[in-house]
Amino acid sequence: MKQKIFKSLGWVALLVGLLFCLVQSTVTAQAKTYQIGTDVTYPPFEFANKQNKYVGIDIDIMNAVAKEEGFKVNIKPVGFNAAVQSVQSGQLDGVIAGMTITPERKAKFDFGTPYYKTGVVMAVGKNSDIKSFKQLKGKRVALKTGTAAADYANSIKKKYGFKTVTFDDSNNMYEDVTTGNSVACFEDQPVMQYGIKQGLKLKIVSSPANTGWYGFAVKKGQNTELRKKFNQGLKKIQANGTYDKIVGKYLGNKTNPKVKGKTFTIGTDVTFPPFEFANKHNKYVGIDMDLIRAIANEQGFKVKIKPVGFNAAVQAVESGQLDGVISGMSITNERKAKFDFSQPYFMSGVVMAVGKNSKITKLSQLKGKRVAIKTGTSAADYANSIKKKYGFHTVTFDDSNNMYQDVTTGNSVACFEDHPVMKYAIKQGTKLKIVTKPAESAPYGFAVKKGHNQALLAAFNTGLKDLKASGTYDKIKAKYLGTDDNGSVAKTAADDAGSRSFFGLIKQNQGALLSGLSETMWLTVVSIFFATIFGVIVGLLGVVPSKFSNGVSSTLIYIFRGMPLLVLALFIYTGIPSLTGTKIPAFIAGVVTLTFNEGAYIAAFVKGGIEAVDPGQMEAARSLGLPFGKSMRRVILPQGIRIMIPSFINQFIITLKDTSILSIIGLLELTQTGKIIIARNLEGFKVWTIVAVMYLIIITLLTWLSNWVQRRTKV
Amino acid sequence: MSEKLRVTNLVKTFGTNNVLKGINLTVNENEVVVIIGPSGSGKSTLLRALNRLEEPTSGSIVIDNVDIASKGVDIDTVRENIGMVFQHFNLFSNLSVGENIMLAPVELKKETKEQASAQAKKLLKTVGLEEKFDATVQSLSGGQQQRVAIARALAMNPDIMLFDEPTSALDPEMVGDVLAVMKDLAKKGMTMIVVTHEMGFAKEVADRVVFVDDGQILEQGTPDQMFEHPKNERLQDFLNKILNV
Ligand SMILES: Nc1ncnc2c1ncn2[C@@H]1O[C@H](COP(=O)(O)OP(=O)(O)OP(=O)(O)O)[C@@H](O)[C@H]1O
Ligand SMILES: [Mg+2]
Repeated sequence: MKQKIFKSLGWVALLVGLLFCLVQSTVTAQAKTYQIGTDVTYPPFEFANKQNKYVGIDIDIMNAVAKEEGFKVNIKPVGFNAAVQSVQSGQLDGVIAGMTITPERKAKFDFGTPYYKTGVVMAVGKNSDIKSFKQLKGKRVALKTGTAAADYANSIKKKYGFKTVTFDDSNNMYEDVTTGNSVACFEDQPVMQYGIKQGLKLKIVSSPANTGWYGFAVKKGQNTELRKKFNQGLKKIQANGTYDKIVGKYLGNKTNPKVKGKTFTIGTDVTFPPFEFANKHNKYVGIDMDLIRAIANEQGFKVKIKPVGFNAAVQAVESGQLDGVISGMSITNERKAKFDFSQPYFMSGVVMAVGKNSKITKLSQLKGKRVAIKTGTSAADYANSIKKKYGFHTVTFDDSNNMYQDVTTGNSVACFEDHPVMKYAIKQGTKLKIVTKPAESAPYGFAVKKGHNQALLAAFNTGLKDLKASGTYDKIKAKYLGTDDNGSVAKTAADDAGSRSFFGLIKQNQGALLSGLSETMWLTVVSIFFATIFGVIVGLLGVVPSKFSNGVSSTLIYIFRGMPLLVLALFIYTGIPSLTGTKIPAFIAGVVTLTFNEGAYIAAFVKGGIEAVDPGQMEAARSLGLPFGKSMRRVILPQGIRIMIPSFINQFIITLKDTSILSIIGLLELTQTGKIIIARNLEGFKVWTIVAVMYLIIITLLTWLSNWVQRRTKV
Repeated sequence: MSEKLRVTNLVKTFGTNNVLKGINLTVNENEVVVIIGPSGSGKSTLLRALNRLEEPTSGSIVIDNVDIASKGVDIDTVRENIGMVFQHFNLFSNLSVGENIMLAPVELKKETKEQASAQAKKLLKTVGLEEKFDATVQSLSGGQQQRVAIARALAMNPDIMLFDEPTSALDPEMVGDVLAVMKDLAKKGMTMIVVTHEMGFAKEVADRVVFVDDGQILEQGTPDQMFEHPKNERLQDFLNKILNV
């Protein structure tokens, strides 16, 4: 029967084709009309809408291209196989029918520029437990004939031991799964996505496999003109946004035109596993990271992740330094006053954790005890809110590991933490146990500055919805938390004993440590360079015979020497942008901070060094008639510099050490690198030892250098 | 005998401390004037005011008919003409002996290195230190340093030389060499103003001795008048003290 249908369709196509050739020959003066075949129904690429008009991504693209290039098309929904055959036989000029470009097809067709990327996914019933191919063993799977998805399914059929049943159209295939006759079906991703969006009771449970491209095809060696025009037109509609609009219309704004192509800088915590943490390749992963990247990918924008720490990230968003923050951030009313939140993407709650062998199981046992919390978290808020009632006191930390360690070492008896975070940490080997049920259940949200970056926020919401629909969201969550409460977490490679030794740790983190060291060195060298210029100028202002200059010099020294480096760094990085509205890259902010701070010290000893030169030297020079500047240059400075050299070298070493403070603004220098490695493997003692030794080696080398320089200048 | 320098009503106060209380003094060309007086009387301040190392509070200092204390004067050019020798020598410790002498001529008179070093060597010879041209300052004795300092001041060919207790920081055996250089300079007709406690030098070389006490000139005259027939009671006291020590 199939053959019959096929044949009759072929004849219809032939007849229609001939008819059009006739019509066309009568209007040769007019723009040429091409005959394009397509599938009967292959939503969202081609299908009849309620008005029985053919629409879909393929149809719209073809029409848009024709319009752009000034030719006419007559699109005929003759069915995929018929269309393909008619093109081969020359009855139709081209085919656009969600046709995957394959080597076999290339032997018979010339393809235009690929216009859509696709891949095969597996979908199962909404309530099905099946999530992997392994679970298909002995089961029945529905396929649609002649599709790339069917080819893929057939290729893995043996390996996973499932049976297949084939259908001629997608709807029948879907139905076979929803009714339970088959347990799963394989389909092209966009098609499946569209179907689910339209209300199919299925869910996607695998990531796209066998990814390929859809292409517009003409018969090999024929219709070159049409193919060229298609390529040109496609390029134009991709450039002018029409393409995105078309795709968006059918697939729920995949690539959101408002954010497409833009890059957003997103702040996150340094370490808040399983939401964000650096894996052993030093790449940031975790639920938040995977989610924001997947949404960006889906919505067509780019993200730059800045793991600056939770507080810094929140402040940087407020000051406009960053566009958004995704950092396991609970949606609270206070925060809503300053931020606009997305739809909640995760539900969390606060639990109390205690040492493995602790007898504490209830809040009431905390009376008079010390409890560790992490600054600025909702767990901390919760702890503070019940602190009086249960009579415990708190100590705050800036990152989770320090907080856990305070409990494992026994300094504190308990800590409060978000449930998923605690769960993950314990699975990773933190010697704590959860003793309370999640309290204060709180939704996590992605946040932007209130009233700003609304397009990004909207894109996040749409993307989140799409990811939930496509099953990607559940997959991300499962990857880090397992699927049930006792579910296993993806085992991290850091667990094998070999990589826990000093040597193993060094080997494993060599790249990260060296790049941290090089960032430290860069910061030091660039900063000391500018600090020296700043310091010498300010120092000289302090000794010229002008009350005003002297005042400026003393004031600058007073301000920048008097301000803690940490405060200065935060002020410059988060404060200045709130005042001026322009962002400062962290590296620049770091250099500026050190320039001012170290520069003030340099200014002080430059001034001091000059003042330490016997005033009689200046008087003698001036009495000879030498002007102030010449006296300074030829007599005073040469003597002053000799006095200053030890201080200069000392300051160089201090600057090197001070760069570690800049880890607060998220600079990936040596200290920050250490923090991040520890966040992953919780080997605080060993990693800090390695980092400390690295600093010592560099400082020793510098000290040798300085001794050598001093010996040479003393002659 | 033409007039070289005239100080009129020179006043200098440091805050509320009135150090010079209206000094009037004239120095003629080729004249050697020795200033004596008790410690803290303002001798150094007076000398340093003459080339404006101390800025005068009021009064005028006329050198070659120009009031160098007035505002518009380029003091650096004026100073090229006034050599000064300090109690503690103040040689530039980052430079060698030769470089000390050559610095100002090279920087200010735009002399070539060769001209300047030839002149420096000549000057070193006149102070008896020709072999020290390349020596470091630190390797010289006090007396040698002071003679280099004199040579350095002479390198700019000044018309007037100011000496502020040039020998009082020296060991006694060195004093003679320095004084010999100064006597030599006086003989050649240099106009000199010398603050010193060396009464022998004053008696022998000075054309005039000026007694300063409490920021005022109380008496002046030839060495004979001043030392043999002092009129002012304070001068008599002062002479008694230093001659009887
Ligand atoms: N820069 C200054 N600031 C304040 N007071 C000063 C300054 N220089 C000098 N004086 C004061 O002026 C007075 C005169 O000092 P000056 O050095 O001229 O005395 P002097 O006669 O040279 O004494 P000596 O014989 O000890 O060298 C002293 O009381 C001294 O304290
Ligand atoms: Mg004196």
